[in-house]
Amino acid sequence: MSIIDRYTAGAARPRGWSHSLAFFLTFACLVLLLLAGFIRHTRAETAPVPAGLVTLGDIESGALLFKSTEPGKYVPAPLLATDVKIDVSGPIARARVTQRFINPGDGWVEGKYIFPLPEDSAVDTLKMVIGDRVIEGKIKEKEEARQIYEEAKADGKKASLVEQQRPNVFTNSVANIGPGETIVVQIEYLQTARRDGDTFSLRFPMVVAPRYTPKEANPQFVDFEPGSSGWGDVLPPERDDTLEQPPVLRPEMGNVNPVSLKVSLDAGFPLGDVASPHHEVMIERDGKRAATIALKDELVPANKDFELTWKPAATKAPTAALFRERVGKEDYLLVMLTPPSGDVQPEAKPREAIFVIDNSGSMSGPSMDQAKESLLWALDRLKPGDTFNVIRFDDTLTVLFPDAVPAHGENLAVAKKFVKGLEANGGTEMLPALRAALTDRRSGNEDRVRQVVFLTDGAITNERELFSEITSNLGRSRLFTVGIGSAPNSYFMTRASEAGRGTFTHIGNEQQVVERMSELFEKLGNPVMTDIIATWPDSRTTESWPNPVPDLYKGEPVVLSARMPEAKGTLTLKGEVAGEPWEVRMSLDKGEPRPGIGKLWARRKIEQLEADARIEGDWERNDKAITAVALEHHLVSRLTSLVAVDVTPTRPDGEKLTSKDMPVNLPEGWDYDKVFGEQTIPASQRAQMKQGVMAFASYAPAPPPQADAGGLQPVSLSLPQTATDAPALIHSGILALLVGMALSALWWLRRHWSATAWARRAR
Amino acid sequence: MRPVLTQKVAALLWAAAILGCIGFGGWQLGQGLYIKAKAEVAQILLERAWEKTLADGKPHKAWPWADTWPVAKLEIPSQMKSEIVLAGGTGEALAFGPGHLFGSPDPGKPGTSVIAGHRDTHFAFLRHLKNDDTVIVTTRDRKQHLFRVRGSRIVEHDNSQIDPHAGFGIALVTCFPFDAREQGPLRYVVFAEAVADAS
Repeated sequence: MSIIDRYTAGAARPRGWSHSLAFFLTFACLVLLLLAGFIRHTRAETAPVPAGLVTLGDIESGALLFKSTEPGKYVPAPLLATDVKIDVSGPIARARVTQRFINPGDGWVEGKYIFPLPEDSAVDTLKMVIGDRVIEGKIKEKEEARQIYEEAKADGKKASLVEQQRPNVFTNSVANIGPGETIVVQIEYLQTARRDGDTFSLRFPMVVAPRYTPKEANPQFVDFEPGSSGWGDVLPPERDDTLEQPPVLRPEMGNVNPVSLKVSLDAGFPLGDVASPHHEVMIERDGKRAATIALKDELVPANKDFELTWKPAATKAPTAALFRERVGKEDYLLVMLTPPSGDVQPEAKPREAIFVIDNSGSMSGPSMDQAKESLLWALDRLKPGDTFNVIRFDDTLTVLFPDAVPAHGENLAVAKKFVKGLEANGGTEMLPALRAALTDRRSGNEDRVRQVVFLTDGAITNERELFSEITSNLGRSRLFTVGIGSAPNSYFMTRASEAGRGTFTHIGNEQQVVERMSELFEKLGNPVMTDIIATWPDSRTTESWPNPVPDLYKGEPVVLSARMPEAKGTLTLKGEVAGEPWEVRMSLDKGEPRPGIGKLWARRKIEQLEADARIEGDWERNDKAITAVALEHHLVSRLTSLVAVDVTPTRPDGEKLTSKDMPVNLPEGWDYDKVFGEQTIPASQRAQMKQGVMAFASYAPAPPPQADAGGLQPVSLSLPQTATDAPALIHSGILALLVGMALSALWWLRRHWSATAWARRAR
Repeated sequence: MRPVLTQKVAALLWAAAILGCIGFGGWQLGQGLYIKAKAEVAQILLERAWEKTLADGKPHKAWPWADTWPVAKLEIPSQMKSEIVLAGGTGEALAFGPGHLFGSPDPGKPGTSVIAGHRDTHFAFLRHLKNDDTVIVTTRDRKQHLFRVRGSRIVEHDNSQIDPHAGFGIALVTCFPFDAREQGPLRYVVFAEAVADAS
């Protein structure tokens, strides 16, 4: 308007006015275009509401949770103390984790306790201590165990149920905890110490107080009550100041969950260095072979994993170990063998590296960039003596060089240019690519190791066909799968790499490319022993894992778990170290008896059966086998749980269990002020907890991904983008058309008006 | 002289502004409608491929250059909806139909099978699903699996809290909020639990 006001006089007024207006409109139009483009890239939504309740997904470590009436939501209870005792005997560790909880409220409650354990832990014991009585848990099929637990709960008996959520995450439900009562729950598991070179190590995932992660992990609530009109109601985010502080635990209150930890170590050989990299410890030597390790501060806040490493006093650890156990009518064996290492590290053989890259449509976007970046990184790391080739595939296939070529300047430049130019398009036909990669023109050549690095997201249907291709045509090649993107088909890729005697690497985002690829290349560059074959005295009656035996890389020992009717005769291990044959014979009857060997075997067998089930898709048969093994060895698995029931009912008949009776599971007498200092539950949240009824029990959400999972299993699935930009496009399209129309109208009006004004003036 | 020149420039600018707006509008609108049309038309082609799959139990692509194939048919009787579910949750698959995420088990297998779809096309009906609604999934082996809606939840895309190995059912996922015009980080998840299989 100011533009118009300035031109109040002069004959040129209509022209000037029109000129400026047109300028202004063009400018406005451009701004509109820019704005429309810009808006499409901004995020419209804001973070969801933080509230006082947590879901299982929020819990990163152990904590007792009381069920609230909000489905899938829990109220964390104060955890009094955790006591961990680990007995290490040779390479086997038995850990006993004791947790004490109190119910500070004045009602009867049911609690759920979720805790992480090492990946390979075999959980076999549950004990519930009430007063001076100890109730021992029994192994049952999952459904049956749950039924027993529910019945006991209804009868007012104390009961406890340990279930596996994921191979490394377990939950423990405890029913009928009386007012002010303390419950002690004890869980025991077995695991093997990891060995790398001469260093043995053991890790205990520390129990941390439920850390509250308001932004990422706390969804808005949707009320979906049955019987209501059926429209889900999204409770609006409430910006209440009292919500700033989560009512249960604040990060700085980490020490409300103190842990005491003690390890008694019997290495089985004279001990050298013993250290705990993350915690200060007191080490008491007990003779040459044993030591007791305790935390220096008797109680530490549980905020980082405990790790213990130990080394032999001699320059070298013993190279072989054999333990046995007789369970029922069978002997179980654990064999550990270390190939030659240290000073006499054999020179790595030159390689023939075959890189296969998937450029099908499913890889489009960041996946393709990551795959390309990974491959370019790999090409840069090839040594002058190596040879290589590159294969790309979608529904077509290109093999870059007719045969593997030496890794030097020109060849590498050609390959890099080829890789950089790749674009994601078309279907995924993996079989021809795999076949091409495994086609070995010099299958008898022992001077080079042949390594196939396969980069893909694994979007395929013919898993079985591919799998049989690998097992039958592998020859001297080794298959290393690299899973690209947030949700690659890791089941297939893990199994493919096992069958291909290689490893699986997962690259989930751009930042991981260098880190993960260098780990992989460290391995590729240092294969110590290849073609390992274990020959048991009677192969028909012996079941041994892993099968086939993977290649060994620098520092790794062969670890075999086996079962046979009777441990006698000789185990022969054959392999190849730097082109030289290597053979070891071991008398099986000389093994030292050690409890737990059978359970470790069973745990590995269950692992294998789970993997088989995913590949074969035959869940029924494998489920049966898993259940049988787990029941026989008293192990918690996906299909079996431990349940303990106190025979005497403790909850008086008249009183009812809070989780059923009261609308809110947060007892009135729940004194936060005393336990945690000044904290209250905001009224808005109480109201929230009174809503929502249905049970969500079977959908226990996954815990957040754990850093040490090695990328083998996608923990919580990440979800794809599920909105097109069609609404945005249509909206801005219509808007622009309207503006265009308005401009036309304006123009027409203006012309019309100026024409008549001229006419007027002419008159 | 000058007035004539300015007049010409003015006219040109006017024309540019109008054409710019109309051109841009037409282009955007066309793009948007193309996405919608593609989603609709694809389902017809997918239906054909699905028939073939049902006949021989093998995956068939709806068009030769497709990077995905039908894996199941999803029916919601209460919404009178039926969609062909494709393999994978890639952008390419989702443009044509709901996608079954590779990291999750097949529908009807133990665990939680995750199927994602666009909120503005195939999964627009998700907001109308109620508890106890029936969801029928037909898999390649011609088996019909029945599921009942048990609840829903809003999560962030990178922390879905869906454990594909827990439970026995399906999770239907779409973007949230439903009416937002922009793409965002929130997802709306409807959980449905398996009930006894129909034949």
